[in-house]
Amino acid sequence: MPLLKIDDKEIQVESGTTILETAIASGIEIPYYCYHPALEVVGSCRMCLVQVEGMSKLQVSCNTFIGEVHPDRKVNGKYDMVVYTQNELVVKERKNILEFLLLNHPLDCPVCDQAGECYLQDYSFKFGNAHSRFEEEKRVRPNEYLGSQIVINHNRCILCSRCVRFTQEISGTSELFVEARGYNSKIAALEDKPLDNLLAGNVADICPVGALLSTDYIHKNRIWNLEQKPSICQDCSVGCNVDVFSQQDQIFRLTARENQDVNGYFMCDIGRYGFHRFEKIERISHPMVRNGKSFNVLDWDEAIKKTADLIEKSKEKTAGIVSPFHTNESNYLLGLLMKETLGYLPPITGEEITFPTKFRISADRSPNLRGVNDICGDLVKDFTSIIKTRDIRGLYILDDGVDRKLDDSWKDILAKMDFVIVQSYAMTELAKSAHIVLPGLAPFEREGTITNDKGRIQWLRPSLATKGDSKPDWEILMLVRNALHKESEYFADLGEVIKKMGDQFPNYSGISLFKIGTQGMALT
Amino acid sequence: MAIITKSYEPTFWDRLYFPALIKGLMVTLRYFFKRKVTIQYPDEKYVPPDGYRGLHRLNKYPDGRIRCVACEMCSAACPADCIYIVPGPAPWEGGKERYPVKFDIDLLKCIFCGFCEMACPEEAIELTEIYDFSAYSREDLLIDREGLLEVYELTKNQNYYSRTDKSKKPAT
Amino acid sequence: MDFLGFIIILVKVLVVFAATMLTVLILIYAERRVSAFMQGRLGPNRVGPKGILQPIADGIKFLMKEEFIPAGVDKPIFILAPAILLIPALMTFAVIPFGSSITILGREIALQVADVNVGILYILALTSIGVYGIVLAGWSSNSKYSLLGGLRSSAQLISYELAMGLAVVSIILLSGSLKLNDIIADQQGYFLSWNVFKQPLAFVIFLVAVYAETNRLPFDLSEAEQELVGGYHTEYSSMKFAMFFMAEYANMITAAALTVTLFFGGWDFPLINETMLGNWGTALSVLAFILKMGFFLFLFIWVRWTFPRFRYDQLMKLGWKVMLPTALFNIFVTAGYLTIKSVV
Repeated sequence: MPLLKIDDKEIQVESGTTILETAIASGIEIPYYCYHPALEVVGSCRMCLVQVEGMSKLQVSCNTFIGEVHPDRKVNGKYDMVVYTQNELVVKERKNILEFLLLNHPLDCPVCDQAGECYLQDYSFKFGNAHSRFEEEKRVRPNEYLGSQIVINHNRCILCSRCVRFTQEISGTSELFVEARGYNSKIAALEDKPLDNLLAGNVADICPVGALLSTDYIHKNRIWNLEQKPSICQDCSVGCNVDVFSQQDQIFRLTARENQDVNGYFMCDIGRYGFHRFEKIERISHPMVRNGKSFNVLDWDEAIKKTADLIEKSKEKTAGIVSPFHTNESNYLLGLLMKETLGYLPPITGEEITFPTKFRISADRSPNLRGVNDICGDLVKDFTSIIKTRDIRGLYILDDGVDRKLDDSWKDILAKMDFVIVQSYAMTELAKSAHIVLPGLAPFEREGTITNDKGRIQWLRPSLATKGDSKPDWEILMLVRNALHKESEYFADLGEVIKKMGDQFPNYSGISLFKIGTQGMALT
Repeated sequence: MAIITKSYEPTFWDRLYFPALIKGLMVTLRYFFKRKVTIQYPDEKYVPPDGYRGLHRLNKYPDGRIRCVACEMCSAACPADCIYIVPGPAPWEGGKERYPVKFDIDLLKCIFCGFCEMACPEEAIELTEIYDFSAYSREDLLIDREGLLEVYELTKNQNYYSRTDKSKKPAT
Repeated sequence: MDFLGFIIILVKVLVVFAATMLTVLILIYAERRVSAFMQGRLGPNRVGPKGILQPIADGIKFLMKEEFIPAGVDKPIFILAPAILLIPALMTFAVIPFGSSITILGREIALQVADVNVGILYILALTSIGVYGIVLAGWSSNSKYSLLGGLRSSAQLISYELAMGLAVVSIILLSGSLKLNDIIADQQGYFLSWNVFKQPLAFVIFLVAVYAETNRLPFDLSEAEQELVGGYHTEYSSMKFAMFFMAEYANMITAAALTVTLFFGGWDFPLINETMLGNWGTALSVLAFILKMGFFLFLFIWVRWTFPRFRYDQLMKLGWKVMLPTALFNIFVTAGYLTIKSVV
């Protein structure tokens, strides 16, 4: 293995890795714009220049590979390569490169949405000159729409071509290209093929400067006002890792979080803009009981007692209906509570889409269908017909807030029931026909584990505070169970539920939130 | 143990006290005839010096557009955290593409340090000389964008109190 | 005494009483304005032209206030105390001549309510009664601050009354009479015949003692706000408090009048023989009296806003170790001088 010396650090690496990769892996800072671990190396920004002993010119570290040299040619008889990232020449050259990159930059950080997470800002501050020697008029170009969701501000663009490579390599759609040459070059979309693929939102994320902007977030907020919390996308069963950016319990944007085992560096636009549908929901914030056509608000103690009484009276003729949108723990606890769980509410399906780099959007658009099948045992798929034939007098529905239209068979079922208990966060049609409505949490408020379609269990962490009087779904179910069976155990936190779940289902045993961590773990 | 150090030993003349008493009486008598410093507030108003930091204003361009681009530098700089801005795309063609949809300042929180005007890259927020803006309720002291622009109209050409033309003053 | 004489006395009493009360009002206003001026302020200038109606407004305020009597007070004494203080203060003025005599319808009327032949003793007696008001107020209030104020006041009055009395003795030695009219007559005529020039030491002692007697700064130990909240009147409110207030100013007026009478020739206008000019002369004498008194009232206020308060031990030291021996020495010198003069 070649022995490398970067500044004062000796590092042993595999042949064939680049200097930049090595530096990043060993915590040495080399600034770069165009390099992206998921994309081909082009070396167009020149920001990552370093000095390599024995080479007459500075080298772009992202495209300089390390290899074993003949023992006679080793530097100091020891090193295969000696690299300087901090010496005078490199520092001076970085200053010059930054000055070139900023020649036509409008310096409009106050109105730029990238400000705060912008590599131009960071590197100018760290490595750049305080002043530009450029005295001529700056080139000014108007903003353009590259697609329905992406705007480009040409003035800020440094032509690193990350976005162009993204459309070529990741999405495979090749909408973007560098138009014209030299001073006139700019990023453009094909005239008859705007940037409207389902991964388009990622180009705004990977843009190292404020050139590519998402119309969904432009001029909405400043990045330093937002709270960044790791979460899991809940719009399909892939379970992309995301970061939720929120301010005062309002989500402003989602970005992809790196997880090589699930989604790589990217996420699709369905998930990226999916959070908007929770802004419009009619939120349930208090437990309610039916009173003729309307509902009365209850406090929790009463609501739990009433629910337990109803289930008690029905003498085990109550069935539970779980949901593929809920966490494993909620579904599991409903299973414990009921004699039997009949099935789940109809899952949402869509088209299965796969991109060249195997990034995929699952056809199953509910996040936890695999988990439901794992946890809830024998589920009857077509439970509507079963209900008709069997003597079931009550339903406990774990509603997922998706506003489904109730067809006639459903209406018949509901009419047949003595009582329907719906646990939900949104006033869906199902909740409107319930006798007791128990307020659970909305998707970005929940905590628990979900299992994606490849059998990877991930920790869904709360990004927002709970609203009103609502309680975590697993806690509601536990309280009802405790009211129903006095001897049943009390779970102080989610970990205890997971432990109990593991005891029952062998492939979920030995799981804890700590082990799952931010990256999730594959089920055995 | 306390050590008493006497700085001076009074002479007999000092011990008479009367010369000192008369000296004291003369001081108060002199003040009796001096010009009084009282400013009779509602009738007369104190005119603050240049650079006084009073009520805020939001500046406009001569064509009426707001200078502010809602960059939130002021709210980031604010040590009292009293500036609330909601940015949005500007409604006008040309010029700055971003402007504040909401721009609220909680004057009760504000400590009038002037960091906001220092942080402002557009010279949009400024502290004026206005100091008497008390109100009867907390809500009244929450000044919004329209209020701040109104303050600009009040103070753009003249000093609010002395009514002297600002443009005539030598530029500082 | 004939009926007319009775009417005249009644009118004189009313005039003196009204004049004193009016002066009290003026003094309250003057105190606030003068103090403000000396501190570079303007003082009350809103009520009426230049604020002259301020004392009226103050009076109305006092009348409107709640008459509050705290629990645990000795009620009869608590209520009586302000009156005990105020009444002697007003009564003292009865023996002070405020002008030469006036002739109306061939009747000569002296401008003095009562020409008592022991006038000086009367005044000393009444001022001593006044202190009972303070002591009783302090004691009956059932408050530590009030009690301390009252006690301080009584100790202070005993200490300074002595020096004051001895200072007056030297004047009596000179004039040979306790009658105030005689003392004035003794100073008539030439400018330098005023007692202040004959007895400068007695004047200084008397003036200092008078400040202590009236409980004015720098001797207001009995109501020292910084240490005793309000001293003897801490628990008083509304008109009862106003009476203490008025008594203080009435005392000031009396003290000023007494100083003028004893040391500045009373109503005597220097170098003019008022009795020769008839009623015009009388008017002149009244004017002279008012001007002299006005100066001393101003001095009262002036001193108050110039000097800080004495510490209590300093007060006692000054009273007993400085003023008393000095006054005795003064009497000794005066008496010696007179003895030598009568022998020679």
